[in-house]
Amino acid sequence: MALFTRTTRNLIIKIDEFFDDIDLGLLVFREGVKAYLDNDMQTFERHVLKAEALESNADKLQRSIENDMITQSILPQHRAEVSTLIDEMDEIIDTIKSSLNEFYIELPEIPLSLKKNLLSLTEASVSAGEELIPAARAYFKAPFTVREKLLKVYYFESETDRISKSTKKTIFQEMNELDLAQKAHLRYIIHHIENISDNAQKAADLLSIMAIKIMM
Amino acid sequence: MILLFLVSGLFLGWSLGANDASNVFGSAVGSKMISFRNAAIIASVFVIAGAVIQGEGASETLGRLGSVNAIGGAFTVALAAAVTVLIMTRFAIPVSTTQAIVGAIIGWNLFTGNPTDSRTLSEIVLTWVSGPVLGAVFSIFLYFLLKKIKRSLQIHLVRFESYIRQGLIIAGAFAAYSLGANNIANVMGVFVPAFRLEDLDLGFFVLSSARQLFLLGGLAIAAGIISYSRKVMDTVGSGIMELSGEAAFVVVLAESLVLFMFSSSGLSDLLKSIGLPPVPLVPVSSSQVLIGAVIGIGLYRGSANINFRVLGEIAAGWVTTPVAAGLLCFFSLFLVKNIFSIEVGYDSSLTVPGSSLQGYMTTEGGKSINGIFRNILLGLMTAGTVAATLYFTQEARKNRELRKSEEKFWGNLKTGKKKPD
Repeated sequence: MALFTRTTRNLIIKIDEFFDDIDLGLLVFREGVKAYLDNDMQTFERHVLKAEALESNADKLQRSIENDMITQSILPQHRAEVSTLIDEMDEIIDTIKSSLNEFYIELPEIPLSLKKNLLSLTEASVSAGEELIPAARAYFKAPFTVREKLLKVYYFESETDRISKSTKKTIFQEMNELDLAQKAHLRYIIHHIENISDNAQKAADLLSIMAIKIMM
Repeated sequence: MILLFLVSGLFLGWSLGANDASNVFGSAVGSKMISFRNAAIIASVFVIAGAVIQGEGASETLGRLGSVNAIGGAFTVALAAAVTVLIMTRFAIPVSTTQAIVGAIIGWNLFTGNPTDSRTLSEIVLTWVSGPVLGAVFSIFLYFLLKKIKRSLQIHLVRFESYIRQGLIIAGAFAAYSLGANNIANVMGVFVPAFRLEDLDLGFFVLSSARQLFLLGGLAIAAGIISYSRKVMDTVGSGIMELSGEAAFVVVLAESLVLFMFSSSGLSDLLKSIGLPPVPLVPVSSSQVLIGAVIGIGLYRGSANINFRVLGEIAAGWVTTPVAAGLLCFFSLFLVKNIFSIEVGYDSSLTVPGSSLQGYMTTEGGKSINGIFRNILLGLMTAGTVAATLYFTQEARKNRELRKSEEKFWGNLKTGKKKPD
């Protein structure tokens, strides 16, 4: 029975730590993009390294959580869904790492007039991810509160879409001084930032169904 | 030779173990909360304990319905019940061992001219209806309580599932104990009046004649659980209705409470002492109590699509099973008596006081039966203890190896990470 309790406690700690990693990753992404836009490359590089460390730790935790659930036969009825949720959330931290790396490798030139747009876009996209974390935590403790928490994820995801659309419109229709390659590059960067909220929405859809099922 | 007559009872016990153990651990095994091996071991141990410790109450009630006073009769009654259960199971008709044995005893009463105590009969029939109803009531109440606790305490899902798993083991053990206590009467009840053995002194525990029979019946049930209940357990998990872990726990707990209620003489005496009507100590059908409990969960969830066909089949079983078993028993007794010339029983009102037929039947085997019985029981108990010790040693070794391999895997992963790119 003691082994039983220890395994359970360890798994709870690992799940919490995994969510902490995603939460921290979102914060790192927001600060990283801000530092890049402010041309503070030293801070930006620190954030890139931090994101890589968080992603690697999240991967390790993901494998360990799945391993524990299977070998210790924990959550037999919810195991598949919990694994998928963790996988979807891991996509968020993967996107964070790869997006920051795109900035780091490709060093996109951001016109000063777009700085505000990109900051808003990052803010909205990161917020969608951040609102997902309490909802995911609530699934394990108070599943009846999950759906109300998810409303904010959907709100921020649509905000991200709106900002992204208007920014792309500005780039392609109003900024004639940019050549097509630069425009395409900027679109690509926007798409990367947008991916975070898209992943958050995917996880939210899954979480929403999981919450209904567990309450039945 | 006399021991051979017990075979029909042991067969009935085996089929009860094969079928009814799934009512205890089926939902837990089906939902993969507990492995079949653990479920089978827990169920076997507790069924035997329940049968030996608390099996006499329900057995006495069956004795009042009809005291089968010849071993040949007891053999035929148990065989008729077992064959009825087997045939009806084969045709997928929901069947209860309890109802089969009651029908067979009435068949014996009719054949031998013994009167059927209508008060006892109505007491028994009433529990067939009240068993599933009580199962439903208990499950609704317990499910409501569990949901309330879960919601107010906001326990982490992983921890909650771990509690549920522990609860399932405890409730399953309790249900197995209650099943043994309640249903052993079906298996060995008819042999008790016709079999009188010397007390068996185990040093720490003295087994009376009835308890020795119950121990043997319990071992037969355990054999049924270990050898044949796996398939039934796997299908029960999703057969009636797909149950969540907590619903499975509630269903098993409700079932065990109902079975315990109808087999606990202590509870019955307690109710009597405070002026309430006592609970009749009657063997009830664990399958039907289980279905009642599952329907209770369905009602709580507000599920509109309760399968009324299942309810209809249960109600039909209340009539068809005892009638079929009664008819089969009546004709089997006729064959056994007239073709094999084996005595199947007498009208007890015609016996001369002081020269009871029970005495005639039981002293016939003499001391050799006691010796054989003692050796069989001791041999089986020793074999069981050795098997359990071996199993637990092996399990501990397997767990140790798994832990070692886990540590090695994560150790390697850590070392791998430290390497420079």
